[in-house]
Amino acid sequence: MPKRRSTFALVASALFAASLALTACGSGGTAKTQGGKTVVTFWQQKFEDYQQAWFKKEVDAFNASQDKVKVDYQVIPADTWAQKLQAAQAAGNAPDVQTTNYGNIAAAVAGGEIADLDSLMPASAFADIKDNVKSFVTIGGKHYAYPMLVEPSTVLYYRKDLVQAAGLDPNSPPKTWADLLTWAGKLTSGKVKGMTIASVGPDLGWSSWGLQYNACGHLPVADDWSKSVATDPCYAQLLNFYKSLYQSGDMPKTPKVGYADGSPYGNGEVAMMAGGSWVVGQLKASFPAMIAKTAVAPFPSIDGDPTKTTATLGGWTLTVDAKSKAKQQAAQFVNWLLAGDPAIMADFFKASGFSKYTVRSSVDQALASNPDATSDPFMKIISSQVVPYGKAEPAYPWDIALAFGTAIEAAMKGNLSVDAALKKADGQINDVIKKQSLAGTQPTH
Amino acid sequence: MALLESSAIDAPPAAGRQRGSGKGGTGRRAVGARRQDNITAYLMIAPMVILLGIFVMWPLAYSGYLSFFKINYYTGSKFVGLQFYHDVLTSDEFWHSLWIGFYYALLVVPIGIILALLLASFIKTLSKRVAAFMKVTVYLPAVVSTVIASVLFTFMYQDDGVVNWFLSLINLAPVAWLNDPQWALPAIAVPGIWLGFGITTLIVLAAMLDIPDSYYESAMLDGANFRQRLFRITIPLLRNVLLYLIVTGFALAVQMIDLPLIMTGGGPVDATTTPNYYIFSQFRSPDPYSRSYALTASLLLFVVLGLVSIAMFRLIRSDKAVDG
Repeated sequence: MPKRRSTFALVASALFAASLALTACGSGGTAKTQGGKTVVTFWQQKFEDYQQAWFKKEVDAFNASQDKVKVDYQVIPADTWAQKLQAAQAAGNAPDVQTTNYGNIAAAVAGGEIADLDSLMPASAFADIKDNVKSFVTIGGKHYAYPMLVEPSTVLYYRKDLVQAAGLDPNSPPKTWADLLTWAGKLTSGKVKGMTIASVGPDLGWSSWGLQYNACGHLPVADDWSKSVATDPCYAQLLNFYKSLYQSGDMPKTPKVGYADGSPYGNGEVAMMAGGSWVVGQLKASFPAMIAKTAVAPFPSIDGDPTKTTATLGGWTLTVDAKSKAKQQAAQFVNWLLAGDPAIMADFFKASGFSKYTVRSSVDQALASNPDATSDPFMKIISSQVVPYGKAEPAYPWDIALAFGTAIEAAMKGNLSVDAALKKADGQINDVIKKQSLAGTQPTH
Repeated sequence: MALLESSAIDAPPAAGRQRGSGKGGTGRRAVGARRQDNITAYLMIAPMVILLGIFVMWPLAYSGYLSFFKINYYTGSKFVGLQFYHDVLTSDEFWHSLWIGFYYALLVVPIGIILALLLASFIKTLSKRVAAFMKVTVYLPAVVSTVIASVLFTFMYQDDGVVNWFLSLINLAPVAWLNDPQWALPAIAVPGIWLGFGITTLIVLAAMLDIPDSYYESAMLDGANFRQRLFRITIPLLRNVLLYLIVTGFALAVQMIDLPLIMTGGGPVDATTTPNYYIFSQFRSPDPYSRSYALTASLLLFVVLGLVSIAMFRLIRSDKAVDG
């Protein structure tokens, strides 16, 4: 009996010690130096495959270019990004450098999560950023991120061969929402639907920003974030447009993929598609046979006015963590990669199939001498007819965007009437404003 | 097992202890033996208590503490009292997600248990070899990953999928199963039932096999028909097992996240936003408010599920099994 008891005591002690050891494992920190070099951790959210290849090549080049800093490059899948980042922040192990989209910069600044880059990077780096993009990364007169690219969220892609077969003119794409509905009807034939556009709340939450601007000239929140303006009558027209398209049966009712994925168009399941400029890259990489049959155009406007916004300019930046112990070295890497030799970023845009757009004047000049860039038909149209009228993504909390996206979805699927859907969204947005005390907290540039 | 045996041998029966309490020597021996038993028992449960304390109790208590703060890892957390409890409890979306969770559970748990009862009754009548084959067949969905099942059923529900193909034979297709707010939740409940009913069937079958045949023989001699045997013998004697299946099945179903996450993204129009999916979506927002909000919502979900489980235990009174 005593022997048994001592065995149990031993097992209990061992388990206790093991649990303590496990607990201790979680409190370790990241090594900051390696072989005499300062280690800078860089987390990149996973994008298209060519981007990972490009980042890896350039990180290796940076590490080889000097002997003071070693960048530790890690790719994080998009669907686990938020969890991993929050866990790392809670443990004090957040990456020194991370990819941050424009829409999240204001929230990160408000939370004190990212460092002001003005004291860490030369002023000339910021002078090179195009004027319409500077405000995307500036809050209270300070730069908190260095921009990498912009990509319009909504462009119209259409099949020239099918358009011609339907008796329509491929050189005269639809100009108004009414034209688009007509085209979608005429192009629907058999299993091929005339059009596809976002139809689920989370996708509509962000992909419709451009059309929200198009319909009303503003987003459904007052400029000072004090109240919702979702019940403005102009939004009823927007919801009716989406509803007509969905209920006409001219778009797939059960989309296989999300809005960001252009494969339904690439696979020939639809004749027209609303998609981001990044779909150009996807078509070139995965559906090259479709390139010759495809044309792009600005997404139609509510009244045919081509100068009205139809797309927001989304995109990615690099930011430096506010608690980083190697801020200067982290900023050195950001400066080398995004603000240094224009040939580095020119190479990126070439790798993207010119589906994304530069934010620096010097990179524009580098691309001007590249015949591939200047002759690309998609780039020419998007950069001259869509980007100049594009607006920044909103900085307000995602809950607001989701409430409005869900209202569009409810109207499309007949859950609620257009007016009831807008009224519900109005109440939800006001609830978010009240609970999160948003009034007057809009970022100032 | 060895320890249980030794404890049983060392510990005098309760009646013996009472009888010996008046005699000094015997009483001291009894008290000493009881103390040794207690020490052994405490040692036995100590590892589990310690592990539970570190990995369950402490995180739970700390979560409760943190729910009074607006958590910020950079500028320091700010005490806000019960603000997040107020915000969650006055949120229509939170209550809507709870309703979706309960609706999903109501679809999945009763149907799963009825199917399991029917199938287990059928398997019980089969020969040993055929029953073994059936048991393996029925159990197979339980070893299929939820992710694989989700993808499989997503393809089946497409406009040109097999479900709509069958419906097209009677001119009822296509139904937008996953994109119609009316159908989306029942559509994801089907894989939910399919994934769970294998284990449920085996548990019910095991419990059924424990019911002595003599009960049925006596009932049949008294002229009881199938319905009477089912409701007077089988179901009453399965009460404890059914209670276990209902309570655990309900708690698991309300917490379902995988199927809506993969198949519908919580849509259409929040029709499949279960409580855990709602909390997860909140947690993924980058702002500090959502972080604290998600934490508080998860604590309140814990309370709601606990209360529902207690109510179920009360409603379906659990008795000790009567051994035949």
